Amino acid sequence: MNRQTKEIIIKYIFFLFALVSVIVLGLIVFSLFREGLPIFGKVSVKDFIFGMEWYPTYDPPSFGIFPLIVGSLIVTLLATVIAVPLGVMAAIYIAEIAPQAIKEILKSVIELLAGLPSVVLGFFGMVIVAPWLQDTFDLPTGLNIVNASVILALMAIPTISSISEDALYAVPREYKEASYALGATKFETIVQVILPAAMSGISTAVMLGMARAIGETMVVLMVAGGAAAIPESLFDSVRPMPASIAAEMGEAPFRSGHYQALFAIGIVLFFLTLFFNLFADYVSHKFRQIGSGTL
Amino acid sequence: METNTIIKLKDVNFYYGQSRALTDISMTFGKNKVTALIGPSGCGKSTLLRLLNRMNDLIDGTRVEGEILFEDKNIYAPDIDPVEIRRKIGMVFQKPNPFPKTIYNNIAYGPKLTGVKAGDLDALVEQSLKQSVLWDEVKDILNKSAMNLSGGQQQRLCIARALAMKPDILLMDEPTSALDPISTAKIEELIEELKKHYTIIIVTHNMQQAARISDETAFFYIGNLVEYNKTEKIFTKPDVKQTEDYITGRFG
Amino acid sequence: MKWRYLKQQIFFGLVRASALIVTLALGGIIFYIAYNGIGAISWDFITKPPTDSMTKGGIMPAILGTIYLTVGAIAIGLPLGIASAIYLTEYAKQGRIIRFLKVGINCLAGVPSVVFGLFGLGFFVIFLKFGSSILSGSLTLGFLILPTIIGASEEALKSVPQTFREASLSLGVSKWQTTYRIVLPNALPGILTGSILGIGRAAGETAPIMFTAAAYFTTKLPGSVFDEVMALPYHIYVLATAGTNIEATRPIQFGTVLVLVAVVLGIDLVAIVVRSYMRRNKRW
Repeated sequence: MNRQTKEIIIKYIFFLFALVSVIVLGLIVFSLFREGLPIFGKVSVKDFIFGMEWYPTYDPPSFGIFPLIVGSLIVTLLATVIAVPLGVMAAIYIAEIAPQAIKEILKSVIELLAGLPSVVLGFFGMVIVAPWLQDTFDLPTGLNIVNASVILALMAIPTISSISEDALYAVPREYKEASYALGATKFETIVQVILPAAMSGISTAVMLGMARAIGETMVVLMVAGGAAAIPESLFDSVRPMPASIAAEMGEAPFRSGHYQALFAIGIVLFFLTLFFNLFADYVSHKFRQIGSGTL
Repeated sequence: METNTIIKLKDVNFYYGQSRALTDISMTFGKNKVTALIGPSGCGKSTLLRLLNRMNDLIDGTRVEGEILFEDKNIYAPDIDPVEIRRKIGMVFQKPNPFPKTIYNNIAYGPKLTGVKAGDLDALVEQSLKQSVLWDEVKDILNKSAMNLSGGQQQRLCIARALAMKPDILLMDEPTSALDPISTAKIEELIEELKKHYTIIIVTHNMQQAARISDETAFFYIGNLVEYNKTEKIFTKPDVKQTEDYITGRFG
Repeated sequence: MKWRYLKQQIFFGLVRASALIVTLALGGIIFYIAYNGIGAISWDFITKPPTDSMTKGGIMPAILGTIYLTVGAIAIGLPLGIASAIYLTEYAKQGRIIRFLKVGINCLAGVPSVVFGLFGLGFFVIFLKFGSSILSGSLTLGFLILPTIIGASEEALKSVPQTFREASLSLGVSKWQTTYRIVLPNALPGILTGSILGIGRAAGETAPIMFTAAAYFTTKLPGSVFDEVMALPYHIYVLATAGTNIEATRPIQFGTVLVLVAVVLGIDLVAIVVRSYMRRNKRW
């Protein structure tokens, strides 16, 4: 075999390796569909998604996951409301204001926060935050939406902060200099020049942070309380989708309706996060920060 | 000159994407001669140099038209392996670029991978370093990192590294532009010495350097070969006004 | 004029407060866990199996299980990730293929961990019939950390100067040999430190191993890759939510959490320190 043929073969071998991620993505869809789709022989897609009752072990069972979807959305939204200001402002501090030494430390702090295992955060929420909430607000349980959202926010902050920080760094220095040269203060420069220029990156950061929160499992499993009902207050318990899957899969008989329904929840969760990721990818490419085009 | 031709270009055009960087270049390079390519920045002289050993292949979206004959074979023919071409046509770059390896391993790297026996390496390393007049300075520190050498020493090491492959031609892309005057003088002496055994094609910004070391000089301007002749002729009585303006420093 | 600067002061105050809150949250959590957990830590705790229905004794099988699963995940994720990154940085031309692969990698990075668990269950445990085992769990975790490793490797490969590649190719050394002999060795330290962050993640994940590898309790140590194992994260979950006596085993729970945090953050911290050291001492 001559060298050129060998080189071409090597190139294609590496191409196959690079395809693995896409193949795995395909296998995920394959596995979820294979185990999950049969449920739709027992319940219609509409009744599954919009059904208000999740009683998978009753006889006859009812597989309505709307309360679970609402649970997921509400903890995700509240977590976003908490995490976005904190994450973006921490990024502004790191990128624009902090002295070099503090910058390094803070970046490590955020990286370590990202590294904390979710089960540890869930444990913290369960053992520390829950009793405190219960006592302070005189609640029947501290395992509720507020608790889960606060802990989820802690998990989303590193994602939001580090991607926002990259976006802020990518703003050309000329913009800042032009603004300072016009007599703007640092605050005015940040708010009127830097943030708008970095907006697409920050939006990407927020969406990826939300995707992270919506798919996070251990925290909502341990801290959200587990009630499969539409909540009436922020101190009510909920049962977000990932929590349902993790809590019930162990008890669901193999290939029973319950088991299939849990895989079907996995399908919903997969496509929901896929949508967030594709949208984030679209935004970051469509509105890429190039030169003055974004101002 | 025809009898001793080693490289011959026929109607060569070169494109980066849509924009043409070289226009209808036809010229020949003489064997065991030093040919200097001069011209203002962006005139295509470096592009031309990198065409000769197919280094432009590395840049996405480039296209070559015409023929470049090396020993009567078109090096852009489909059945030609660029790797083979580069073994015969070595290159020295603008900035010294030794590998982060020992001095010895920098030189031995190429030969080792192209099948030179381990037993012959020591001799080859010594010979290459002697040819590049670096041996006396480094013979006791062959196992130290090449990154510790001075810029001028690094560049001579890069020349030795290229020579170790026993090429026929040595392409030099502004080899002294990053060096101090003393190191530059050493490299120029070295080129003087090397032309006994090698064909050298050198891109330079430095008029005096071209005048000092080359036998032939080609002047390029915006992708065109304007004038190509014996160096003395170019620097004393150029035929074209543009050439004269450039070498006398009126533009560029 | 004054108001302009007052606004700035207020804004900077808020920004500083945010950074402080994030730092305090991390510090608070770590301090609280260390404070409550340190009492449970002893030589026996680390080297002995649990006893009395997991209300006493140590966590050795869980530590060992986590090590097996993490090593397995590395064995799968690292070579695949490095090879993918080599294609993306060294071989692929800019264009649709790269775009397609990158979108795929980003989407894989965004797949929720519990969906990875379902995938592991549906594909490795059931479809390939590996059962709930070290093999299934390692494969699931390996693919989970693949995007992180690809990202880290890409960054490290890109930081190898183009001039090294040119020098090698100009000597008539082939593309593959250039990649293997010059690019890869120079990128390796960066690849490894970057990948460690992914490895820490593999050690700490719970949801992907719940249905694919983790045993509630087992006294026997695994004999092959087809055996189930206990694992630290899952052990914490079990003790905290489904143990025989949740309140009484709090000290053991805190101790286990402390061990997991120490392992994961220890790994991360080493990576961070080594990386900043390497950046400062870079020769090119």
